Amino acid sequence: MEKISFPAKLENLEAMIDFIIAFAQNKKFPDDKLNQIRLACEEVLVNVINYAYPGSPGEVEIVCSEAGGKGVIIEVMDSGIPFNPLEKEPPDISQPIERRKIGGLGIFLAKKVMDELSYERKENKNSLRLVKYA
Amino acid sequence: MESKFSIELSGNIAKLTLVGRLDATNAAVFQEELKKISGQQVTKVVFFAKDLEYIASAGLRVMIFAKQKLCQDAQVYLVGAQEAVLNVVKMSGLDTFMAIQDTFQE
Repeated sequence: MEKISFPAKLENLEAMIDFIIAFAQNKKFPDDKLNQIRLACEEVLVNVINYAYPGSPGEVEIVCSEAGGKGVIIEVMDSGIPFNPLEKEPPDISQPIERRKIGGLGIFLAKKVMDELSYERKENKNSLRLVKYA
Repeated sequence: MESKFSIELSGNIAKLTLVGRLDATNAAVFQEELKKISGQQVTKVVFFAKDLEYIASAGLRVMIFAKQKLCQDAQVYLVGAQEAVLNVVKMSGLDTFMAIQDTFQE
Protein backbone atom coordinates (compact mmCIF):
# COMPACT_ATOMS: atom_id res chain seq x y z
CA MET A 1 0.00 0.00 0.00
CA GLU A 2 1.21 3.48 -0.80
CA LYS A 3 -0.27 6.77 0.29
CA ILE A 4 0.31 10.43 -0.22
CA SER A 5 -1.50 13.68 0.38
CA PHE A 6 -1.53 16.99 -1.42
CA PRO A 7 -3.14 20.40 -1.01
CA ALA A 8 -6.32 20.15 -3.09
CA LYS A 9 -5.19 22.48 -5.85
CA LEU A 10 -5.21 22.17 -9.60
CA GLU A 11 -1.47 22.85 -9.73
CA ASN A 12 -0.95 19.52 -7.92
CA LEU A 13 -3.19 17.46 -10.22
CA GLU A 14 -0.36 16.22 -12.38
CA ALA A 15 1.70 15.08 -9.38
CA MET A 16 -1.36 13.28 -7.94
CA ILE A 17 -1.95 11.42 -11.19
CA ASP A 18 1.75 10.64 -11.61
CA PHE A 19 1.72 9.00 -8.18
CA ILE A 20 -1.22 6.78 -9.12
CA ILE A 21 0.09 5.91 -12.58
CA ALA A 22 3.52 4.97 -11.16
CA PHE A 23 1.78 2.55 -8.80
CA ALA A 24 -0.32 1.07 -11.60
CA GLN A 25 2.65 0.77 -13.93
CA ASN A 26 4.29 -1.57 -11.45
CA LYS A 27 1.23 -3.81 -11.70
CA LYS A 28 1.81 -4.29 -15.41
CA PHE A 29 -1.29 -2.59 -16.77
CA PRO A 30 -1.34 -2.25 -20.55
CA ASP A 31 -1.22 1.32 -21.89
CA ASP A 32 -4.91 1.54 -22.77
CA LYS A 33 -5.92 0.63 -19.23
CA LEU A 34 -3.37 3.03 -17.76
CA ASN A 35 -5.02 5.74 -19.83
CA GLN A 36 -8.41 4.78 -18.42
CA ILE A 37 -7.04 4.92 -14.87
CA ARG A 38 -5.58 8.35 -15.66
CA LEU A 39 -8.93 9.55 -16.96
CA ALA A 40 -11.01 8.28 -14.03
CA CYS A 41 -8.54 9.61 -11.45
CA GLU A 42 -8.36 12.99 -13.12
CA GLU A 43 -12.14 13.32 -13.11
CA VAL A 44 -12.48 12.30 -9.47
CA LEU A 45 -9.57 14.49 -8.32
CA VAL A 46 -10.75 17.53 -10.27
CA ASN A 47 -14.11 17.16 -8.54
CA VAL A 48 -12.43 17.27 -5.13
CA ILE A 49 -10.18 20.19 -6.15
CA ASN A 50 -13.11 22.21 -7.48
CA TYR A 51 -15.85 21.45 -4.97
CA ALA A 52 -14.66 19.87 -1.70
CA TYR A 53 -13.35 23.01 -0.03
CA PRO A 54 -15.30 26.05 -1.13
CA GLY A 55 -13.43 29.17 -0.08
CA SER A 56 -10.87 27.45 2.12
CA PRO A 57 -7.79 25.28 1.60
CA GLY A 58 -7.84 21.53 2.19
CA GLU A 59 -6.08 18.29 1.49
CA VAL A 60 -6.70 15.34 -0.78
CA GLU A 61 -5.40 11.94 0.32
CA ILE A 62 -4.65 9.17 -2.14
CA VAL A 63 -4.15 5.55 -1.15
CA CYS A 64 -3.16 2.94 -3.72
CA SER A 65 -3.26 -0.76 -2.98
CA GLU A 66 -3.42 -4.06 -4.78
CA ALA A 67 -6.73 -5.71 -5.58
CA GLY A 68 -5.87 -9.32 -4.81
CA GLY A 69 -2.87 -9.29 -7.13
CA LYS A 70 -5.12 -8.71 -10.12
CA GLY A 71 -5.52 -4.97 -10.17
CA VAL A 72 -5.41 -1.74 -8.25
CA ILE A 73 -7.62 -0.04 -5.70
CA ILE A 74 -7.33 3.73 -5.58
CA GLU A 75 -8.95 5.59 -2.72
CA VAL A 76 -9.38 9.34 -2.95
CA MET A 77 -10.35 11.05 0.29
CA ASP A 78 -11.10 14.59 1.37
CA SER A 79 -12.34 16.22 4.56
CA GLY A 80 -14.55 18.67 2.73
CA ILE A 81 -18.30 19.07 2.65
CA PRO A 82 -20.14 15.72 2.52
CA PHE A 83 -20.80 14.99 -1.13
CA ASN A 84 -21.45 11.82 -3.08
CA PRO A 85 -20.73 12.60 -6.73
CA LEU A 86 -22.14 9.22 -7.76
CA GLU A 87 -25.63 10.36 -6.80
CA LYS A 88 -25.51 13.17 -9.29
CA GLU A 89 -27.81 12.80 -12.27
CA PRO A 90 -25.77 11.50 -15.23
CA PRO A 91 -25.68 13.73 -18.31
CA ASP A 92 -28.10 12.91 -21.10
CA ILE A 93 -25.65 12.07 -23.85
CA SER A 94 -28.43 11.59 -26.37
CA GLN A 95 -29.28 15.29 -26.29
CA PRO A 96 -28.29 17.23 -29.39
CA ILE A 97 -25.13 19.24 -28.89
CA GLU A 98 -26.94 22.56 -28.76
CA ARG A 99 -28.72 21.44 -25.62
CA ARG A 100 -25.97 19.42 -23.98
CA LYS A 101 -25.19 20.46 -20.44
CA ILE A 102 -21.58 21.01 -19.61
CA GLY A 103 -21.52 19.37 -16.15
CA GLY A 104 -21.54 15.78 -14.95
CA LEU A 105 -19.53 14.33 -17.80
CA GLY A 106 -16.40 13.64 -15.74
CA ILE A 107 -17.92 11.29 -13.19
CA PHE A 108 -19.95 9.65 -15.95
CA LEU A 109 -16.69 8.82 -17.78
CA ALA A 110 -14.98 7.65 -14.59
CA LYS A 111 -17.81 5.17 -13.97
CA LYS A 112 -17.56 3.89 -17.53
CA VAL A 113 -13.83 3.21 -17.56
CA MET A 114 -13.34 1.72 -14.09
CA ASP A 115 -14.44 -1.76 -13.05
CA GLU A 116 -15.79 -0.43 -9.75
CA LEU A 117 -16.45 3.02 -8.39
CA SER A 118 -18.04 3.52 -4.99
CA TYR A 119 -18.52 6.24 -2.41
CA GLU A 120 -18.42 6.07 1.35
CA ARG A 121 -18.59 8.71 4.06
CA LYS A 122 -16.23 7.59 6.80
CA GLU A 123 -14.46 9.31 9.69
CA ASN A 124 -15.87 12.63 8.53
CA LYS A 125 -14.30 12.17 5.11
CA ASN A 126 -15.58 11.64 1.61
CA SER A 127 -14.00 8.51 0.22
CA LEU A 128 -14.21 7.41 -3.38
CA ARG A 129 -12.89 3.98 -4.18
CA LEU A 130 -11.87 3.15 -7.72
CA VAL A 131 -10.97 -0.37 -8.79
CA LYS A 132 -9.41 -1.46 -12.06
CA TYR A 133 -8.37 -4.97 -12.98
CA ALA A 134 -5.39 -5.60 -15.25
CA MET B 1 5.05 15.04 -25.74
CA GLU B 2 4.52 18.65 -24.74
CA SER B 3 0.88 19.72 -24.90
CA LYS B 4 0.09 22.60 -27.22
CA PHE B 5 -2.81 23.96 -29.15
CA SER B 6 -2.77 26.17 -32.18
CA ILE B 7 -5.42 27.70 -34.32
CA GLU B 8 -5.36 28.81 -37.91
CA LEU B 9 -8.17 30.45 -39.78
CA SER B 10 -8.14 29.79 -43.49
CA GLY B 11 -11.13 31.27 -45.23
CA ASN B 12 -14.17 30.08 -43.33
CA ILE B 13 -12.38 27.05 -41.91
CA ALA B 14 -10.95 27.13 -38.41
CA LYS B 15 -8.18 24.56 -38.08
CA LEU B 16 -7.18 23.57 -34.58
CA THR B 17 -4.19 21.37 -33.98
CA LEU B 18 -4.11 19.51 -30.66
CA VAL B 19 -0.91 17.94 -29.36
CA GLY B 20 -0.22 15.96 -26.18
CA ARG B 21 -2.88 16.01 -23.50
CA LEU B 22 -6.03 18.04 -23.24
CA ASP B 23 -7.06 17.90 -19.61
CA ALA B 24 -8.09 19.97 -16.60
CA THR B 25 -4.63 21.50 -16.29
CA ASN B 26 -4.64 23.09 -19.73
CA ALA B 27 -8.23 23.22 -21.01
CA ALA B 28 -8.43 26.90 -20.07
CA VAL B 29 -5.48 27.65 -22.35
CA PHE B 30 -7.26 25.91 -25.19
CA GLN B 31 -10.47 27.79 -24.49
CA GLU B 32 -8.60 31.11 -24.64
CA GLU B 33 -7.07 30.09 -27.96
CA LEU B 34 -10.54 29.29 -29.29
CA LYS B 35 -11.81 32.77 -28.51
CA LYS B 36 -9.68 33.97 -31.41
CA ILE B 37 -12.34 32.68 -33.77
CA SER B 38 -15.18 34.29 -31.85
CA GLY B 39 -17.15 36.64 -34.10
CA GLN B 40 -15.56 35.26 -37.28
CA GLN B 41 -17.61 33.75 -40.08
CA VAL B 42 -16.62 30.15 -39.46
CA THR B 43 -18.48 27.40 -41.29
CA LYS B 44 -16.15 24.54 -40.38
CA VAL B 45 -14.24 23.79 -37.20
CA VAL B 46 -11.62 21.09 -37.67
CA PHE B 47 -9.83 19.49 -34.72
CA PHE B 48 -6.62 17.86 -35.96
CA ALA B 49 -5.97 15.27 -33.26
CA LYS B 50 -3.32 12.94 -34.69
CA ASP B 51 -0.88 13.82 -31.91
CA LEU B 52 -3.45 14.11 -29.14
CA GLU B 53 -2.69 11.30 -26.71
CA TYR B 54 -5.30 11.91 -24.07
CA ILE B 55 -8.47 13.86 -23.51
CA ALA B 56 -10.49 14.28 -20.32
CA SER B 57 -13.91 15.82 -19.74
CA ALA B 58 -12.36 19.27 -19.34
CA GLY B 59 -11.18 19.01 -22.95
CA LEU B 60 -14.53 17.72 -24.19
CA ARG B 61 -16.21 20.65 -22.49
CA VAL B 62 -14.15 23.06 -24.55
CA MET B 63 -15.23 21.26 -27.71
CA ILE B 64 -18.86 21.61 -26.63
CA PHE B 65 -18.19 25.26 -25.79
CA ALA B 66 -16.77 25.82 -29.28
CA LYS B 67 -19.91 24.51 -30.90
CA GLN B 68 -22.44 26.09 -28.52
CA LYS B 69 -20.94 29.51 -28.01
CA LEU B 70 -18.62 30.29 -30.87
CA CYS B 71 -19.96 28.76 -34.01
CA GLN B 72 -23.43 27.27 -33.63
CA ASP B 73 -23.88 26.80 -37.35
CA ALA B 74 -20.48 25.34 -38.13
CA GLN B 75 -19.83 21.71 -38.99
CA VAL B 76 -17.29 20.20 -36.60
CA TYR B 77 -14.68 17.64 -37.67
CA LEU B 78 -12.40 15.41 -35.63
CA VAL B 79 -9.53 14.27 -37.77
CA GLY B 80 -6.95 11.52 -37.21
CA ALA B 81 -7.85 10.87 -33.58
CA GLN B 82 -6.10 8.01 -31.82
CA GLU B 83 -8.21 5.21 -30.43
CA ALA B 84 -7.88 6.34 -26.79
CA VAL B 85 -9.21 9.79 -27.65
CA LEU B 86 -11.89 8.47 -29.97
CA ASN B 87 -13.19 6.12 -27.29
CA VAL B 88 -13.67 8.97 -24.83
CA VAL B 89 -15.40 11.09 -27.48
CA LYS B 90 -17.75 8.21 -28.29
CA MET B 91 -18.47 7.37 -24.66
CA SER B 92 -19.56 10.98 -24.17
CA GLY B 93 -21.81 10.88 -27.22
CA LEU B 94 -19.90 13.72 -28.89
CA ASP B 95 -19.36 11.66 -32.04
CA THR B 96 -22.94 12.46 -33.00
CA PHE B 97 -22.12 16.09 -33.70
CA MET B 98 -18.67 15.68 -35.20
CA ALA B 99 -17.66 14.22 -38.50
CA ILE B 100 -14.97 11.68 -37.60
CA GLN B 101 -12.33 11.34 -40.31
CA ASP B 102 -8.88 9.84 -40.77
CA THR B 103 -7.77 12.68 -43.02
CA PHE B 104 -9.59 15.95 -43.51
CA GLN B 105 -12.09 15.94 -46.35
CA GLU B 106 -14.40 18.89 -46.74
